[in-house]
Amino acid sequence: MNTAKLYLHSMGMLMKSQLQYPVSFFLQTLAQLVMEGGEMLALILVIDRFDRLGQWAAGDLFFFFGMMSVTFYLTECFGRGITGNFPYLIRSGGLDTILVRPRGVLTQVLCSAVDPRRITCIAVGVTALLIGSRLSGIRWAFLKGLLLVEGILSGCVLILGLFMTEAILCIHSVKSVEFVNALTYGGRSACQYPMDIYPRPLRVLFTVIAPFAMTLHLPASCILDKPLYGWPVWAAFVSPLSGPAVFLIIYVCFQKAMRFYRSTGN
Amino acid sequence: MSFIHVEKLHKSFTVLEKRRKGSLFRERKTVEALRDLSFEIGRGELVGYIGPNGAGKSTTVKILSGIMTPESGEVTVGGRIPWADRREHVRRIGVVFGQRMQLWWDVPILDSYLLLKDIYRIPDEKYHARLTELTEVLKLEELLRTPLRLMSLGQRMRAELCGSLLHRPELLFLDEPTIGLDAVSKLSLREFLKWENETYGTTILLTTHDMEDIAALCSRVMVLGHGRKLFDGNLETLLERYDTVRTVKACYENPSVMPALPASVTASREGEGILFSYSPGETPTAEVLRLLQAAGDLRELTIEPQNIDHLIAAMYREMDL
Repeated sequence: MNTAKLYLHSMGMLMKSQLQYPVSFFLQTLAQLVMEGGEMLALILVIDRFDRLGQWAAGDLFFFFGMMSVTFYLTECFGRGITGNFPYLIRSGGLDTILVRPRGVLTQVLCSAVDPRRITCIAVGVTALLIGSRLSGIRWAFLKGLLLVEGILSGCVLILGLFMTEAILCIHSVKSVEFVNALTYGGRSACQYPMDIYPRPLRVLFTVIAPFAMTLHLPASCILDKPLYGWPVWAAFVSPLSGPAVFLIIYVCFQKAMRFYRSTGN
Repeated sequence: MSFIHVEKLHKSFTVLEKRRKGSLFRERKTVEALRDLSFEIGRGELVGYIGPNGAGKSTTVKILSGIMTPESGEVTVGGRIPWADRREHVRRIGVVFGQRMQLWWDVPILDSYLLLKDIYRIPDEKYHARLTELTEVLKLEELLRTPLRLMSLGQRMRAELCGSLLHRPELLFLDEPTIGLDAVSKLSLREFLKWENETYGTTILLTTHDMEDIAALCSRVMVLGHGRKLFDGNLETLLERYDTVRTVKACYENPSVMPALPASVTASREGEGILFSYSPGETPTAEVLRLLQAAGDLRELTIEPQNIDHLIAAMYREMDL
C-alpha cells in the first residue's frame, strides 16, 4: 500500500513539474494528437479501400486498433519511467541515485517519470473502440467488459516487460535500441491489426515471443464474437495472462542482470 | 568490530579493447579498480579519501553504499553487508555525489523533501524537526519554494545535503562535494559538515581533490592510487613524509639571469620565469630565497602552494608505481 502511495505522490509531483512549462506541454499534447490521429487516418484509408481484411469488417478493425492504442499509450503514460529513459538511466549511471534509496529499483524507476501528453493518444484509442463497438454492433455484457479490461491491463504489463529488455541489455553494455524497438514499437504498429492477416513467422513472433496476440487479440476477437484462430472462449480469458508471465520472466532476468550493474565513473 | 570494516577488497572491470584488424571480436581486458584494499573506520570519524582520478575512490564509495558488488573481499558497515542487504543498508546512509543532483529538477525543493520523506518512511514529527533544523543550519529557509533549476551551484549543494540527511543517516558519503564551489560556499559547507559530525556523531567519508577540505575537516586521511591504499594516517604525517618538494617561480628583470644554486635544486625555464624545485630538508627555503635574490633584480617571486597532485606524484615515486 505504501508503494502505491509513493507512486501517486511521485506522479503528482511530476505532473506539477511538467506544468511548469504550460505552453510546451499544451503543444506537445497537441502533437501527440496529430501523431495518433494520423495513425487512425491510415486505418480509415485502409478500410475505405478494402472494406474488409479477411474475416474482419471495418468495425472489427477499429476495435483492434483502439485496443492497441489504449493499451500502448496507457503504458507510455503511466509507465514512462520504464518505457522512456530507463536505458539512459543505466548508461549514465543515474541508477546510482535510485540504488542508494531504500525502495525497490523498479518501483523507483516507475516513479521517476509520467507522460500525461499521451492523454490525447489514449483518447484517440477510446474513440476507435467506441466506433468499432458501434459499427460491429457488439452486445456488451459483464464478462465482455471484464475481458476488455483484462486484455488491456495484461497488455500494459507485457509492454512494460518488453521495454525492460532494453534496460537489461544496457546493463551488459550492449546498445541495442533497434532490436528491442522492433518488439515494442514494431509490435504496436503490427498488432494494431488482427494477427491472422500476417504470415506465419510474424504470427509466431507476436503470439509466442512477444504475445500481443494472446493479450490483446484473443480477448478482442471474443468480444467481437469471432474468436481468433477459432480458439474457445475460455482461452481468451487465460491467454492474456501470458503478458504478466513474460513480464515476470524478464523481471527475474533484470534482477539477475542488476548484479552486473557497474555504474559509471565520475 | 569497527563501524566500517573492509578487508582484502577486490574489484575489477572488463573493458573492451579496440578491435584488432582481422579479428572478429574485440579483445577483453581486465582493469583492476581495487586491489587488496583493507581499512577500518570507527563510528563518528571524519575521514578524507584522496587520490587521483581513476584511483578507485568512487568505486570504493559505490561498494560501500551498496551500488556495486565486489569480486572478493569482506565489507561490513554497521554489521551489514551493503550489497547483500541493500535496502536495510541504504536506510542508514546518505550519499551526495558532487556532480550528480539527486533532487528533482523542476519542483520546489520542499516537494522533493516531502517525496524523500515517503521514500524513507520518515514519521511526520521526526521529519519536521529535522527539516527545521537542517534548513536553519544550511540557511535554506528562503529557498524551500524555489525549484532546484533556479538555484546557484552553492545553493544546490546545500539543498542536496539537506535532502541526503533528512533521514538522519549514521554514515554520510560525500563524493567531491566542494567541486566547482566558490570560496564562501566551500567554507560554509565545511562548517556544516563539522557541525553534523560533532552534533550527531555522523560518520563521514569524504572524497576530494581539494587539500583545503582535508586540512579543514579530516582528522584522518586515506590515500588511494591504482586501487591500492598508499597511506592511512593523519594529515601532518602525510605532509611530513611526502610533501618534500617545494617549487618556487622567479622572474627577473633581465630574462637571461640564471642564478647559481646547489646541485640538489633543479631549474627549468617556464615562459618568462624559471621554476626551481628543491626539498627543504636538503636546501632550506631561506637559503634558496637568498640565492635567488642575490642573482639579480627580481620582478616577481611565487612560492607555489602545496597541492595534492604533488603529493600523489611524490608518493607514486616512493612506492614505485
